[in-house]
Amino acid sequence: MELSRRTLLAGSFAAVVAAATGCSSSMDAGSGQKKNATGNLALWCWGGGLGKSVLDDTIAHFPDQHIKYSEIGGDFKQKLVTTLNGGTAIPDITGLKGEDIASLLPQADRFVDLKTVGADSVLGEYVEWKVKQATTLDGKVIGLPIDIGPTALFYREDVFAKAGLPSDPAKVAEQLKTWEDLLAAGLELRKANPKAPIVADATDMYGTIINQGTDRYIDKDNKFIGDQDHIRRAWDLSVKAITTKVDGRTPGGTPDWNAGLDQGTVPTVVGAAWVALDIKAASKTGVGKWRVAPTPSGPANFGGSFLAITKNAPDPAAAFEVIKYLLSPDNQAKAFADAQIFPATPAAYEKPQLKAADPFFGGQVPIDVLGPAAADVPIAYESPFDSALAAPYTAALKSVQAGSKSSEAAWQQAVSQAKQIGKRQGVQ
Amino acid sequence: MTLTATAPPRSAGTAEPGRRRKSIWSYWRFYLALSPFYILFAVFGLYPLGSTILLAFQKWDGLGPRQFVGLQNFSFLLEDSTFWLSLWNTLVLFVMSTVPTLAIALTLAVMLNSAIRFKGIYRIAYFIPNITSLVAAAIFFAAIFSTNFGLINSGLRALGLPTEDWLGQPWGIKIAVSAMIVWQWTGYNTIIYLAGLQAIPTEQYEAAKVDGAGPLRTFFSITLPQLRPVVLFTVIMSTIGGLQTFTEPQVMVGETGGADQSGLTTVLYFYNTAFRANDYGYAGAIAISIFLLVLLFTAINWRLLRGRSSE
Repeated sequence: MELSRRTLLAGSFAAVVAAATGCSSSMDAGSGQKKNATGNLALWCWGGGLGKSVLDDTIAHFPDQHIKYSEIGGDFKQKLVTTLNGGTAIPDITGLKGEDIASLLPQADRFVDLKTVGADSVLGEYVEWKVKQATTLDGKVIGLPIDIGPTALFYREDVFAKAGLPSDPAKVAEQLKTWEDLLAAGLELRKANPKAPIVADATDMYGTIINQGTDRYIDKDNKFIGDQDHIRRAWDLSVKAITTKVDGRTPGGTPDWNAGLDQGTVPTVVGAAWVALDIKAASKTGVGKWRVAPTPSGPANFGGSFLAITKNAPDPAAAFEVIKYLLSPDNQAKAFADAQIFPATPAAYEKPQLKAADPFFGGQVPIDVLGPAAADVPIAYESPFDSALAAPYTAALKSVQAGSKSSEAAWQQAVSQAKQIGKRQGVQ
Repeated sequence: MTLTATAPPRSAGTAEPGRRRKSIWSYWRFYLALSPFYILFAVFGLYPLGSTILLAFQKWDGLGPRQFVGLQNFSFLLEDSTFWLSLWNTLVLFVMSTVPTLAIALTLAVMLNSAIRFKGIYRIAYFIPNITSLVAAAIFFAAIFSTNFGLINSGLRALGLPTEDWLGQPWGIKIAVSAMIVWQWTGYNTIIYLAGLQAIPTEQYEAAKVDGAGPLRTFFSITLPQLRPVVLFTVIMSTIGGLQTFTEPQVMVGETGGADQSGLTTVLYFYNTAFRANDYGYAGAIAISIFLLVLLFTAINWRLLRGRSSE
């Protein structure tokens, strides 16, 4: 009895010690990653991230790889980072979201540089700016693009026509060339129909204008440039939308936004290709009334994701063959037909799946607008801290929207907060 | 496990050490019975707490190497205007939600205590909001407070009153968020007050009646003093919950906190810092400040309510 007590206590103590040390050692970065021993190729993505038929086809196409697909719900990046830190059950291939890629580039050594496994032969098939997003400053490519999110101006043809604005996509493209044009048209629309502000939400518009530029908040030398003209221009245009009362103050995704799309009180959406799905879901009575025109002042990108190979993969070259196949132009076109995943390969735009006329858009062929937009998205350097620095600007703009701060006071606040965050991160 | 290692020697007393050691081991069954809690607490409570404290002195982006920076995160905290704003928001929301919650809960409990029929149904009805999914409820409240198609504005319009852009105005956001907290926690507190009320001996009320005390006098002289320990419990629970408000503003006005960052609570700021800005070390410092704040407020509550009851 005496002995068994001791063993039991010692045993349970050892278990706790093991658990504690197990936890702490797993927090060590990098070291001790276990290779996948099962012979399966683990593939992680989020729900709807890859087309279903494409995925099934790819799994069947590589029977020797035993591809094991897992759909990860919730905060994808958070789960990936936790798993990478944990050091076990790391996927061999993983999806990376466009909004997360910049913050992951400093950790490029956690992923396989795709150039070392033969990516050079296919990188040219993808739009250049998207590949650039996944390229480190020293030239490593950590992800192959799944999809992109070129923006366009989605608008209600009937609302425009009733207000005497041009309603045909070609004419809209001609008249609404710049944001200034759009704001001017907004004044006309407001006169004819006070319930339909032309800008759905000024803070969303601000984000789009920033995305249209080649500079953001931090430059390549890690210097803060968030107080310069390119940001101020986006700010002033958004403030103008607010002060001229053509701003509907209905951010995308809110109940008011959804209802407004259906009832015509949100007559335009400036958004990425995938926003079309949201509009279709919300605007049941709007079938045939919506149209697509180019984004004023040129296209931007919003969203879009990548597939990366982790250092965990036992055979990176074989894993690359899988993603090369999965993301080929043919399969990108299929994925678009599956789930409106907008191809990152211009060759796919010529495929019949994308050339189809869309009855929701009154028989218009959206790719005629979105295709050229995809080609013209500007290349911008996005620092790992970019999204952190962007937050104060949006917050301050909301104060201007609410009328609780003047544009100038809000601007000063945004710049000083962004500087403060930058200072903490070592931005000069 | 720390407890099993340190506690026994204290009880060891004065006799010869050999025998004492044996007596420690003879308690093994009790330690074993207690151990699941302590093991779980160590793994899921103590360890994260320890690593958060450690993290607060480091700079870490979530993946790369950690770098020890000493008190730098805390000195940033002191000069970070957003952090102070988030503290202010949290405190305002706390007062705006806790005071009505407890007042309504107490009133309801007293009413329910004297009601005779359908008691069970009322209790269930009051408790349901508390077990409703927070996110679902927040989406629902966001819809209620919507500017153009929201229930509240439709009601105001029907009455011919001016409508308000609730979720677009700093005060509107605070009202919407605290309304949801009131909705969610009133029933919970009602049930607790009700349990407290039913423990008050009826003789006291009968004696008061004989002495000719009215309902108000009875309430303030008997009900409230008798309920003091229960009130202390609800106030402390509300403090802990209120200072950690997060989901309501996040779902209703988004991560920036809306106009004037009015819905940016400290926990929301913590969340943004860690999981959006990948600044885990700084987020650790914010987390510790929330922890200290909860401690401080609990101590204040304790002193205020306990102090008076012992008079």
